[in-house]
Amino acid sequence: MAKQAVSFTLNGKTVDVLVEPRELLIHTLRENLNQTGAHIGCETSHCGVCTVDIDGESVKSCTLLTVQTAGSDVKSVEGMATADGLHVIQQAFVDEHGLQCGFCTPGMLMRAYRFLQENPDPNDEEIRWGMSGNLCRCTGYQNIINAVKTAAKNLQQA
Amino acid sequence: MDTVADKQKREDSLNGVGCSRKRKEDARFIQGKGNYTDDIKMPGMLFADMVRSPYAHARIISINTEKALALPGVHAVLTAADLKPLNLHWMPTLAGDVQAVLADEKVHFQYQEVALVVADDRYIAADAIDLVEVEYEELPVLVDPHKAMTTEAPILREDLVGKMEGAHSTRKHDNHIFNWQAGEKDATDRVFDAAEVTVSQDMVYHRVHPCPLETCGCVASMDKINGKLTVYLTSQAPHVVRTVVSMLSGLPESSVRIVSPDIGGGFGNKVGIYPGYVASIVASIVLGVPVKWVEDRMENISTTAFARDYHMRGELAADSNGIIKALRVNVLADHGAFDSCADPSKFPAGFMHICTGSYDIPVAHLNVDGVYTNKAPGGVSYRCSFRVTEAVYVIERTIDVLAQKLGIDKAEIRRRNFVKKEQFPYTTCLGFELDSGDYHTALEKVLDAVDYKGLRREQEEKRANGELMGIGLVTFTEVVGAGPSKSCDILGVGMFDSAEIRVHPTGSVMARMGTITQGQGHQTTYAQIIASELGITSDEIAIEEGDTDTSPYGLGTYGSRSTPVGGAATAVAARKIKAKAKKIAAHLLEVSEDDLEWEVDRFKVKGVPGQEKTMKDIAWAAYNNVPEGMEPGLEAVDYYDPPNFTFPFGAYLCVVDIDKDTGVTDIRRFYALDDCGTRINPMIIDGQIHGGLTEGYAVAMGQEMPYDEEGNLLGNTLMDYFLPTFVETPKWETDYTVTPSPHHPIGAKGVAESPHVGSIPTFTSAMVDAFAHLDVTHMDMPHNAYRVWKQIKALGLLDN
Amino acid sequence: MKVDLNKEFSLPGTGLQAWTFLQDIRGVASCMPGAEITEDLGDGNYKGKVKAKIGPATMSFNGDIIIQNIDAAKRELHMIGKGQDTKGSSSATMDLRAWVEDSDDGKSVLQGVATVTVNGKAASLGGRMMTQVADQMLNQFGKSFANNVASMGEGEEAEMARDKIAEQPAELNGLAFAWSVFVGWFGSLFNSKK
Repeated sequence: MAKQAVSFTLNGKTVDVLVEPRELLIHTLRENLNQTGAHIGCETSHCGVCTVDIDGESVKSCTLLTVQTAGSDVKSVEGMATADGLHVIQQAFVDEHGLQCGFCTPGMLMRAYRFLQENPDPNDEEIRWGMSGNLCRCTGYQNIINAVKTAAKNLQQA
Repeated sequence: MDTVADKQKREDSLNGVGCSRKRKEDARFIQGKGNYTDDIKMPGMLFADMVRSPYAHARIISINTEKALALPGVHAVLTAADLKPLNLHWMPTLAGDVQAVLADEKVHFQYQEVALVVADDRYIAADAIDLVEVEYEELPVLVDPHKAMTTEAPILREDLVGKMEGAHSTRKHDNHIFNWQAGEKDATDRVFDAAEVTVSQDMVYHRVHPCPLETCGCVASMDKINGKLTVYLTSQAPHVVRTVVSMLSGLPESSVRIVSPDIGGGFGNKVGIYPGYVASIVASIVLGVPVKWVEDRMENISTTAFARDYHMRGELAADSNGIIKALRVNVLADHGAFDSCADPSKFPAGFMHICTGSYDIPVAHLNVDGVYTNKAPGGVSYRCSFRVTEAVYVIERTIDVLAQKLGIDKAEIRRRNFVKKEQFPYTTCLGFELDSGDYHTALEKVLDAVDYKGLRREQEEKRANGELMGIGLVTFTEVVGAGPSKSCDILGVGMFDSAEIRVHPTGSVMARMGTITQGQGHQTTYAQIIASELGITSDEIAIEEGDTDTSPYGLGTYGSRSTPVGGAATAVAARKIKAKAKKIAAHLLEVSEDDLEWEVDRFKVKGVPGQEKTMKDIAWAAYNNVPEGMEPGLEAVDYYDPPNFTFPFGAYLCVVDIDKDTGVTDIRRFYALDDCGTRINPMIIDGQIHGGLTEGYAVAMGQEMPYDEEGNLLGNTLMDYFLPTFVETPKWETDYTVTPSPHHPIGAKGVAESPHVGSIPTFTSAMVDAFAHLDVTHMDMPHNAYRVWKQIKALGLLDN
Repeated sequence: MKVDLNKEFSLPGTGLQAWTFLQDIRGVASCMPGAEITEDLGDGNYKGKVKAKIGPATMSFNGDIIIQNIDAAKRELHMIGKGQDTKGSSSATMDLRAWVEDSDDGKSVLQGVATVTVNGKAASLGGRMMTQVADQMLNQFGKSFANNVASMGEGEEAEMARDKIAEQPAELNGLAFAWSVFVGWFGSLFNSKK
């Protein structure tokens, strides 16, 4: 299959990749660009461990073709922390014990990042619905909810 | 300064046992810097993908790999024929059986491994598996375990025909794996024959899958020049894998390095050794380059290690006051096509004999028959110690049935039958020595917390209005921490575990263990144990696990054994260091050891304020000023062989409201009290309990692996297989009591599995309770809306 | 995954016309959307293929058709179709008995009893939809069969039927099919609550 050149922005930097039209974004990110934060869990867009942010929306990168991202602004977990330190949401996940095995965490963080822009002051119920596209097998979600609430509070104070 | 406040300050700064220390491992995970198996990339690495059978039972007539091999980018296609010369087409299982690596003449279950394709990348590998042509001749399929030992049943394992001496017992039928019994049959039967009251309840503990978010996989890398095989692999027991790989490949164990990198959840799914691992290792040995194989979700659910599938009958004999006189349990265990349970060798039904529960039962008999069917192999412990979930389910369900028959409240019948606090240590009639417990206190604490009487009153009112409200109650006892090597081994290796601790000259610590964390937070909690033992702040204690080249041999992490066994080894190794440190301190302070006392982080000369040496001082001295005749350095290793198991327990209560028109269940309240003995890190304990309860909720309320008559697994993606989301997961309330284990060095018992083990029967208990006034005694799981609705319909409760 | 199906199609032609067409195995096969006979092996054995495209998934089954029995007295055909998809991950078998009955109005009825067995990925993934998919496939088959019988006659109706046959898609296709499956499934939800 002939490869195509695709350019998009990843965490603020332009990247150029050469991919088959059928290549999925998750594979381009992980294998071509060595950004292994986003993971693969189900291949059917149910689990959300591959969640990244594209042009202001949460997207499951296991069911998106890389060619579809041409010209897009892609943000992944690797772009969350800055030289100044962790993002408020990352810190909240540590403080509230919002992760265990860590496999769902990058996707969970990226979803929380977008969700808290969609709803900066959510209650428990809104968090449950807003985050429900991301699965976690370890935490039972309770501490993730606490983490999102803490992050919301800290983001508003920041 | 030697005030109480100072002492407390020093104590606090250790971040030792008992504090909710933030997790050390989080830093890499939140930055996307975790290093899971599929994250590993090696130069020249190829990708492997598996050709699998669409049939549950069929003879392989031919395999044609020509077209696949002709596809550019394909390097090899391995079949059983290629593995035969190496004698690797079959491999031993941990349960004394053998399992086909690549199907040899026959396939025994749907999605069984038939051929391994190795290609440049995963896309080419996927294309190539479509090009492998396999011709099958269908055979009659055996799905129902109840039909396995009938005369008309098709014989599955032709390799075992006529071999009637199995690994665990004589086999009664070609599809029979083993019979295992515990207790006294005749004595039990006699009590039943004479009993005032008996109850009997059949129940199916359905087949489920642990389904961690990360599937299983490996990267095998054979360096043909130096003869070293390195395998990165999602394993809960890397050292056992090394031993097995060495035995299978003929490579010396020192030339095999197994690394369990970060693991994206295990829950029992990652204990076994799978065909994909072995085939990838062979591929790497043949091709001389690294080979990566990672399952997709369908492969994970369909082929690697299911759990449960126990078809049980629980029977109790009692007097009219509900005092239990005897217990009888019969189990038909569906093990699938190969017996690849991962139980200690001598226990083919795991610790099913903990089925006497928390109760003082004079006599009991347990009978388990394992059979083959045309389903995927497994039978692992899904977030539990070996078959303990099944055991707890059968006793907790059956005691509810007894209570119902006698009209005694569920809480009251448990009170009447509990092993009393003063009876510990208590030896059960099936042979476990329960080391400690305080069941009454735990139960009463829960009943008070939820206002049990109030709930029962409310239920009365609701029932009068025709509403369905159920209260579930379970008081479980687990057996974890396998285990004493006199009874527990895996492939002949005793189930000890190990810790190796090195104190550096500046007083920081590197410690390595034989266990492997999968989210439990070992890097945090082991450091807390060492911190409290040695008086060194846990922030300066680094923990490493999972690399067999560097860590001491251990049996791994499953069955809640890390804290009971690995944690004990850690404490004992630290104590060995402390003993040496004391000698050095005595030398430095020029006193006798007897004149020293320990305080938080230092040895002090008794009665002489100011005369003291901190552990940091001692660490430095260990490398330059030790007593004459003593070797320098400050390190220790401990291989801990536990004298007994540990027995965490708890009392769980659940309140459900069921919508009569739809069967949809609302978990109104779930209150979980756990006693795991000494609590190392309360924050982590709570997290583990939340997770375990959620997995219990998943099993009880939705997970199932239905097979049709042709042996097709109906539902092996996350479209069908139930993993609860944020939305349906209930809010959990947790509580605790502390009854330390008397034989564990720090009194800890293990915790992560109790909530799974304990919650599942609690849900069923609550569901049944909602219908108990209508004489329903049991409902099989999963309690999904459709099944509940059918129950409602069958009882004629639908309005229209 | 096993599904039993019972179907009845009113046909515009006479019983004799219908029976004549029923014995034309190539013609009958072409009534099945996406199916065709590729080779006549003699003695009632044929090779054929079925291609189905549902959403993004294309499944192509290669298989054998065996005519078990043709009973002219009963106007009944018994055939078995057996196929494996070309990717080797699924297989399907259909055991079909079809017969023609005269109806009172001089026209006829095609009766069919079939057991469809599906193995492999198609069963795991499509199990829930199996009954509806098979049902829809047979409905399309029935329509097409009726057109063929009608086309054997004379006049305007036969002309129209011949046009319709020509328009028939060469494979089981697309959204319309998915929609009819969905409608069938949705309907069954309500039916089951009776």
